[in-house]
Parts: sequence; C-alpha cells; structure tokens
Amino acid sequence: MKQKKNKEMAAKPSSKAISKAEALAVHLISGFGLSVAFWVAHNVHSITLTSHPSHTLCLIWVFECPAVILLYSRYRKDHEQCSYFKAVGRGLLGLPAGALINALGAIVLGAPAGIQYLPKTINWSLVMSLFTIVPAASVFGSSWTDWQRIFAFTKPIEPVDYMICLPAHGAVIGAWFGAFPMPLDWERPWQEWPICVSYGAIVGYLVGIVASLGFILVRQHVKGD
Amino acid sequence: MPWLTCTKLTLFTIAGVAIQMVGLSIFVFGFFPVKPTLPGHSGSESFRAPQCDLVRNESESDLHPHQLRSLYKELSGMPPAFDRLILMVIDGLPAELVLGKDGKPPSKALMEAMPYTQSLLANGMAIGFHAKAAPPTVTMPRLKAMVSGAIGGFLDVAMNFNTQAMLDDNLLGQFFKIGWKMVMLGDETWLKLFPGLFLRHDGVSSFFVKDTVHVDQNVSRHLGYELSRDDWDFLILHYLGLDHVGHIGGRNSALMAPKLREMDEVVKMIHMNSILNQKNDEGQTLLVVVSDHGMTESGNHGGSSYEETDSLALFIGVKNNISDDFLSTHNIVHQVDIAPTLALLFGVPIPKNNVGVLIAEIFGYLSEDQQMKALELNSWQLLRLLQAQIPGLSCRNYPCDGSRDDQESRIAKCSGSMEAMFCCLYTNAALLQKSWMSKEISRSNSREDYTSTVVGYYEFLRTASEWLSRRATDKPVRLLTVGIAAMLLSCLILLSLLFHTCKEVYLREQSLFDLESIKQTWYLDETFVLGVVLILIVSMASSSMVEEEQYIWHFVASTLNLLLLRKTIKCPTGAGAQDLRSSSKGKNKISFCRLSSISVVLISGRILRGWHQGGVNWTNLPDISKWLEQAGTDNVKSIQLVSCLLVMSLTLCVLFLFGFNMKFVLVIGFSFLMSGLLVLQHFVKHQDGMFASSSYSTTTLVQIIYAIMGISTFGTVVALPWFVRFSTSEMGLSHDLYMSTSVPNEVQNNTLLVKLRESLYLVGWEYISFWCLLQLLLQQTINSMTILLLLVQILASMLYFSYSGLHQKQWVEIAALYFLGMAGHFALGNSNSLATIDVAGAFMGISNHSTVLSGILMFIITYASPMLFILSMVMYVSVKDTSYLPSLVNADSTQLLKLMLGFPCLVPLGLNSILLTAYTIVLLIMRNHLFVWSVFSPKYIYVCTTTICVYIGVSVVATTVTYTYWVLGLSKKMQSKRGHHHLR
Repeated sequence: MKQKKNKEMAAKPSSKAISKAEALAVHLISGFGLSVAFWVAHNVHSITLTSHPSHTLCLIWVFECPAVILLYSRYRKDHEQCSYFKAVGRGLLGLPAGALINALGAIVLGAPAGIQYLPKTINWSLVMSLFTIVPAASVFGSSWTDWQRIFAFTKPIEPVDYMICLPAHGAVIGAWFGAFPMPLDWERPWQEWPICVSYGAIVGYLVGIVASLGFILVRQHVKGD
Repeated sequence: MPWLTCTKLTLFTIAGVAIQMVGLSIFVFGFFPVKPTLPGHSGSESFRAPQCDLVRNESESDLHPHQLRSLYKELSGMPPAFDRLILMVIDGLPAELVLGKDGKPPSKALMEAMPYTQSLLANGMAIGFHAKAAPPTVTMPRLKAMVSGAIGGFLDVAMNFNTQAMLDDNLLGQFFKIGWKMVMLGDETWLKLFPGLFLRHDGVSSFFVKDTVHVDQNVSRHLGYELSRDDWDFLILHYLGLDHVGHIGGRNSALMAPKLREMDEVVKMIHMNSILNQKNDEGQTLLVVVSDHGMTESGNHGGSSYEETDSLALFIGVKNNISDDFLSTHNIVHQVDIAPTLALLFGVPIPKNNVGVLIAEIFGYLSEDQQMKALELNSWQLLRLLQAQIPGLSCRNYPCDGSRDDQESRIAKCSGSMEAMFCCLYTNAALLQKSWMSKEISRSNSREDYTSTVVGYYEFLRTASEWLSRRATDKPVRLLTVGIAAMLLSCLILLSLLFHTCKEVYLREQSLFDLESIKQTWYLDETFVLGVVLILIVSMASSSMVEEEQYIWHFVASTLNLLLLRKTIKCPTGAGAQDLRSSSKGKNKISFCRLSSISVVLISGRILRGWHQGGVNWTNLPDISKWLEQAGTDNVKSIQLVSCLLVMSLTLCVLFLFGFNMKFVLVIGFSFLMSGLLVLQHFVKHQDGMFASSSYSTTTLVQIIYAIMGISTFGTVVALPWFVRFSTSEMGLSHDLYMSTSVPNEVQNNTLLVKLRESLYLVGWEYISFWCLLQLLLQQTINSMTILLLLVQILASMLYFSYSGLHQKQWVEIAALYFLGMAGHFALGNSNSLATIDVAGAFMGISNHSTVLSGILMFIITYASPMLFILSMVMYVSVKDTSYLPSLVNADSTQLLKLMLGFPCLVPLGLNSILLTAYTIVLLIMRNHLFVWSVFSPKYIYVCTTTICVYIGVSVVATTVTYTYWVLGLSKKMQSKRGHHHLR
C-alpha cells in the first residue's frame, strides 16, 4: 500500500499535493510516535517526564525521529533532483542543527545554562528540533526562500507547508507559554526546566497538528467546490 | 492640517503628567498615612502632667538602672506588683479557641485540649481577653504593636531600609533601661527587632512552614533550665507551631488539638514552677499569654476579618476580684492595650507612641488612689501624643499649680471639633479627679465621685485611643478612588495622544511613500508589545510573580528581540528610502549588520540575566556574580578595571568614528577621558572596595569627578548648538534660492535637520557615556561588567534601529528599549524588596551626612538602567532614519519637532502610566492580602519611583531636543542674515 503510493508520487513531476488521507496519516503517525514514547517510558522504564525529564525526552526523540524523518522525506520539494535517501540525510543533518538553534533560543530566553542542565537541554532541544526544524529540513532542503516563507513570514501555501508550519509554530508558542509557571513558588516538581516547557511544546505541537489537519480539510473542501 | 499641533501635544502631555502626579500623591498619602511619631523614649517626665513639664530633669540619662528604677517608683507612687514577667507568644492562636465567642465557651473538644488553662480561667486565677489586632495581621508589625502600643504605618518600615531593628520607644527598651535582664526563646523576629538586648536567646526560623514539631521543641527544650534560673527578669517565649498548623490544615486541622495541648502543658509548667512555687523574697511573676494574630478558617492571616484580628491576651497570676459574668461579656480589648498595661504593672514609663488604654480589670488589686494614678499616667501619655498630632492642642485652661476653685462649675458637656473635644474630655476628667482628691478626708462617702472620675478618664482615653488608631490604619476610600480616577484619566489622555500621533505618522508615511511594505498590517511584534502589557498587568496580581519579576522582564525583552530578529530575516534589506539607493552588496552588509547587532543584544541580555539571580525564592542559586565573588576580590577588581577601560575606549571610538563637529568632539572626548582616568585612579587607589571610601582624599576625588562630569555634560548641552556652523556653500545655495521658489525651504530645513541630528547624536552619546561612567563609579564593584553590557546593548540597539527604517514602527522600537531598560534594572541586582537597595554607594563623595544627597545617589544607583535607556532616546532621535521628515516643511516647523519627539516621550510615559494605574488598582484590591506589606507595598514604592524616573528622563530628553532645535534654528537665522549682509 505504502509502496504503491510512493510510486504514484514518484510519477508526479515535482512536489506533489498531499492528499487528506496522507496528511492525516503523517500526523497520526507522528502523534503515535509521541504516545509510544510515553507508553514505553511509563510501562517499560516506569518513569515519567516529571520524574526523569532527560531520559523521557530522550525516549521521545528516539521514537519520534524515524517517524518524522522518514515520513516527511517523502514529501520533499525538489522531487527530481533529490532522492528519498538524500532527503532522509538532510533530515538527519537538520536534527542537530535544529537542536542547536532551539537550544540557543531557549538559553537566550533564560533557560539555565549550567553544566548540570546540559543533558536536559540537549534532549529537549532534540525533541524541539524534531517538532520544528527537521520536517522543514527534509522537505525544503537548502531552499532559503521556502524556509523564509514558512518561518519568517508564516505563509504556508501548499498542504505540506501547513503540515510543517503549524505544528512547528504550535510547539514554539506552546513552549513559550509553558515557561510561565517556572518562576512561581508553587514548589511543584514539574516547574523545573525543561518539564513544563516540554509539556507546553507537546500540547502546542498537538494543537498545531489538529489545526493543520483542519486547514488542509477546509482548503481541499474549498478547492473541491 | 493635523488636529494635533506641537503645542497642543505638549500641553496635553504636561496636563496628563500633572494629573497623574496629583492622583499618585493623593493615593499614596491615602494608602500610606504618615503620622507624626514622637522620637526618643519616655523618661521620668511621663510621670508629670504634660502642661507642667517645663522644667526637665536632664541628669536622668546618667542614672544607674537601679536608681532609675527607684526614681520611677517614687514618681509614680505605685509599687510594681510584679518583679518578673514571662511573655508567652503563641503565633496565630485565635482567642476564640480559648475564650469562646459572644459569651459562649469554646467547643468541648477545645476545652478538653487546654484543661489547665481553662481551669485557671474558671478559678479566677487568670483573666483572658480578646485582644483585637490591627491589620496587617502579620507577625512583625503585631509584635511591634504589642511592645510599643503603637500602630505603625507602612512608610516607617520603608523609611529605615536595611535595619529591621525597632527604633521607636517600646517596653523592651524601657525594661532594658531599668536594668532588666531578658531571655528570648522562639521566633527569630524578636532578634531582628531587638538586636543585642537579650542575655540569652535561641531563635527559631519560621521559614519551614511544614514543620510543626521541632519548631516548638526547640523553644521548650530550654524551658526547664530557664525556669530554674533566677538571673532574668523578662522571659519571652514565642511558639510558631500553631501558626504552622494553621497554614497546613486550617483551624480544624487534626493537629490543632494536640498543639493546643502542648501549649497548655507549657502554661502548666510555667504556672507550677514560677507562680505557685514562689518564695516570698523572690517577688511575684506574671505570665502573659498572647497571640500576635488570629487565623481564618483555612489558616491564613494578614487581613482584617474578625477571625484574623481576634488575638488572645491572657494574664495569669493577677489577683482577680471580678465576677466571671462580667468578664465573659466585657473581655474585648485592643492588642495595643497590652503595652500600657504591662508598663504600668511594672512601673516603667508608657512608651511614647502608645495609643492603647490600660486594661482596668488587671488593676483590681490596687487601691483607688493608685488606680486613679494609673489612669492619669495613661492620659498624660495619650495627651502628649495628641499634642504631637494636633499641633494646636494645648488645653491651657487646665491649672498647673493646683489651685482648685469652682471646679464643679467648669465641668461641661463635650462637643464640637475633635480638638475641643479632647481638651474638654481631658479637663473634665482632671477636674473630677481634683475634686475627688480634695474630699480625701471624707473618702467613705465619695464613692460616686470616684466612679465618675474613672468614667471621665475612660471616656477621654477611649476617644483618644480610637481616634489615634484610626488615623494609623484607616484608608479613606473616597480619597483613594479620587486618586485612582485621576490616574486612569491621565492614562487615557496619554494613550489617546499616543494613538493620535501613531495615526498621524502612519498617514504621513502613507502619503509620502506608496510602498507596499507599509500598508496597514498588524505585525506580530506590535501585537506582542500590546500582549506584554497585558501579561505584565496580569502578573502583577500574583505575589510570587511580583517577587520574581526579573524573569518576566527578561523573558519579554528577549522575546521581543527574537521577534525583531525574525522580522529582520523577513526583510533583510533594511528599509524605506534606502531600498532604492543601496546596491545589493550594501544590502547584504546592512542585513548582516542588523542580524549581528540584534544577536549582540540578545546575548548580552542573557549574560545580564545570569549576572544576578535576583528575586526572593531562588536568590541562593548560583549566578555569575556569586561565582566571581568566590573567585576572589582580585578577579573582581581586574574585571572592574577592564570594563572601565572598555567603556572608555568604546565611548571614544564611537565619538571619533562618527563624530561630525570635530572641534567639539575633541573637547568632549578630552573631558570624558579626564573623568574616566580619574575614575580609574579611584579604582586603583582603593583596592579594598567600599570601606575605604570614607577617607577625605577619596571624597575629594569623587567630588572632583562629579564636578567634571556635571560641568562637561551641562556645558556641552548648552553650548554645542551655538557652535554649529552652517557651511557657507549651503548658505549661499539657500540664499540664492531663497526668494524664488519653495524648494529652498526644503533644502534649508534639510541642512537644519542634518545639523540637528549631528548635535543630538553628540549630546545623546555624551549623556549615555557619562551616565555609564558615573554608574561605574557608584555601583558595586561586581556590577561594573553589567554596565558595560548595558552600554553594548544600547549601542547594538541603536545600530539596529538606525537601519530599520520604515519597516519598524517607532513605538515598537522605543518599547523594546524600555523593556531592555527594565530587564537591565533587575540585572543590576535590584528586586522588588527594599533590601536590595545599595545603601553603601549612596554615601560616595558626600562629606557630611545629608539625607537628600544620599537619597539622590541612591536613586541614581537603583535606577541606573531605566534612566540609561530613557536617556538613550536622545541618541535614538538622532540615528533614526528620518528621510521622510524634510518634506513636511509646508507646515510650521514645530511639526518636525513633534514628529521627532512624539514617540520617544509618549511611549515611556504611556507604558509607565498603564503599569502604574494597573498596579495601583491591584494594590487596592490586595490591601487585605497576606503579603500586602511584605510584597505588594514595597513593589508599589518601586513603581512610584520608576514613574519619577520616567518623568525625569523624559523631561531631560524633551528639553534637550527642543533646546537644540530652537538654538539651531536661531543661529541659522542669524548666520543667514549675516551672510545676507555679507553678500550685499
């Protein structure tokens, strides 16, 4: 089934429109990756994000990474010049680069920079990278105008743009709002960096996924009319 | 013709600011009533009538404590009934739990929890009272009220910044003066209030609220030992456990009954040991069990509800001949009444600022004479206090010499003004007393006289006490509402002015450039700035957000900068008119410039955030300043030197690289270099930091630096525009075309604008650099790097804004500067508690103590960063791309000034007025909050001072720009006239 679809896509000249079902599948699988990671953390390692943030975040990105890179690489923009594996490679390259950008952003916004927070920050930024940069890296590669359009102008045009743009922005905005409880003196364990920020990012990501699905459905509906 | 001319704008702004000032002062004086307190301590004069103490006994201070004690005894004519006092404070115990409510006894479970105390009460061996506490029902002010009898306002707390020690007249001080030895076990608040007064002490901290066991065990463990000793006269026990129980589980907590039982055991132990077992030669011991405040059902306190103010006063060991029925209904007193009662019981003068009235039931054991004397002493003290508060009050009609004729006829009904009322009540009581005394011989049938005298005295005491305490705590709601309404009005005025200016600038831009890019779209950064205002307002209502405000400012400032970065990526080519001119290479260079400058702002902002942890809850976490201090003073010193050198070289670089008017640049550079070198010399000379700064040579050096800075800054601002030369070629050009067309006007104004920008650039940079240098001198050594980073931030922001052109709304940029300023304020180690104010630096270069001068220095130190960023507006005005301005000459020339100054003045004023008004409303809502005195009120003082800072900064900016513009216009006219003559 999957291969058949793949062939169909390969037949099309350049970047192809993504169907409703595909968009749904991509989002479901990436959401599924998240839940599998939480399930494994909870049932196999019997840890939670609050108790072992670093370890859990590590699990999340390990499970999410193949799902995101393999899925999004199929919808690469420059379909002719770029093979599937090259796109996967771009995604893999985008992972640490995006992590660096996210980590820098978080630290600039006040995330603790101490050495004891390093593993947490690294794992968190890898997760964030999968939410934000990696899909774009797989899809757009080094096309600066596309990057600019998605992240600076927030002007998604095609369905795949929506699928990249909205979850990424959702994750970033969610993480931003997630940081607000941190200075409060509620003395809850989840106020630590990066726990509530991760929760915020995940919630934002999921909201972004739902929004992107909604947009794609509405768009195709309008188009169909 | 625009609706808003420059004059109108100025007038409206000034009106708005004036209304705000009036509203603010009305609110402040309504919310924090300032009541005159009497300085010093009561001495033997308190045993004489207020009108008659013209002759004072000056030798009193030399007396030995024991002599003083006997002097008091002699003067008062009342032998102290007790020799030793045990004050047992049970934190947070509502009197209801011991005494019941409305004449009904407490519930059976509670009665059973305190069997011994209840039996004492039932047997008449103890007298219990509901002692009504005044808000704020928080421990420290309540303890103060108990020992001084005064209800303090907030401002007296604010006035003595770092010291928490109680300086007002109080019981402990009085006891100390007569040579009492005191022992304190329990809450360490006592140690903070009375440092060095105790013979022995063991303080426990109330920090661990979850701990209900050890906190009391640590007090009780010494009890057996202390009770066996006889080297103390006053023993203070302060049990915190019950308050902690309340905070955890409320009044009905399962832990409450055991805790009450524990307290009962302590009472039993003390009573058995020291009151029942008294040998005759040892004298009598009085045990007073009090609570500082009550608690609500859920265990909180701080406000003014009945549950919170219902505190306990239990006197154990007084002989009591009053019936139980009488007591159960007449057992409501005020907490402040404890102080005069104890003072009179132990024969010391009543503390000067006491507003309490003695508790008559306690004095039942005294003879009628002595009771009368006690009432008289209390009345004298209150009368003195009244005289201090109502200056005109003298009550001269009271005869001093004791001539007593026709007293009966003078006793009158009291009415009229407060002043007359007090006088009349007092005189009545005094006359009644005299008439009673005169009939001394026939004492047996003067019972009626006695009663009426006592009633007369009580009437005076109660009226005076109520009036005095109401003055301290009452919040005149109408006044506060008027204040808030005025602030709201001014906020609206400022915001509508801002809105109009915005609209006008936008229309002008639209008419000038038909650019696609400035069509009216609502950008993310603009929305964000508005969102930030909302976030700030919401966060002000949360006490922990107020405590940790530094996080918010840094967070929003960095986010705004990140958004600007995103915007830069969006349109990397700079903006506006530059688009058309610059080549692609130039564009790349510009976009690189903008990206790197915004990154510099972000990175230095993060370092600044890490410099001081700040706040209240996480102050002990590691930060850069702690790390550096651990590394040793040498490192700190060298960092200070390096940052001073860097600030100097940076300043000179900027001055000479971009300077236009060479001669003047040299002068400015020279004066800066000189003061910089002097500052360096000051650093090198005083290796050991602050402590050497008191010596004479240091003071002189610092004064010289102040003088150079002041003179050169002021001199430049005044003189610079006069020395600007409009070059002759330009003059000729403008002259030639002067008559013919309308074009020359533009050219003429263009050169004027160029010159204006050049002068403002120099003046603005001079403001910034001298301010930084001054801060380097004044701030703590550890903060010198912070100053450098702030300077770098300003420079980078200026660089960024100078290229941003029309893509960026001006008000967003100024808001960004304002946010950076506030983030920097916290980066310098400030917080919203008064404890972080740097008092040490406030005496730099002041040879003799002056409150005003050190206050100004303290302000300069504390508001270093906001002031710096507001002052940088002068430079901002000069670097901003104003290529669209010259074409508006057809209107009158003040229009230009308005467009240049409108935003830099209105945005800080508008932002600040929103925050001020919002916080004022928050404070009013929170006036009964537990933390109103510890968190919200200090924050309000900071908010008010920020307002003053904004006023000063904005007026400096506006004056400078207006003055420069005016002088330039004038000198240009003069020069052109001269040129005209010349050509002829």
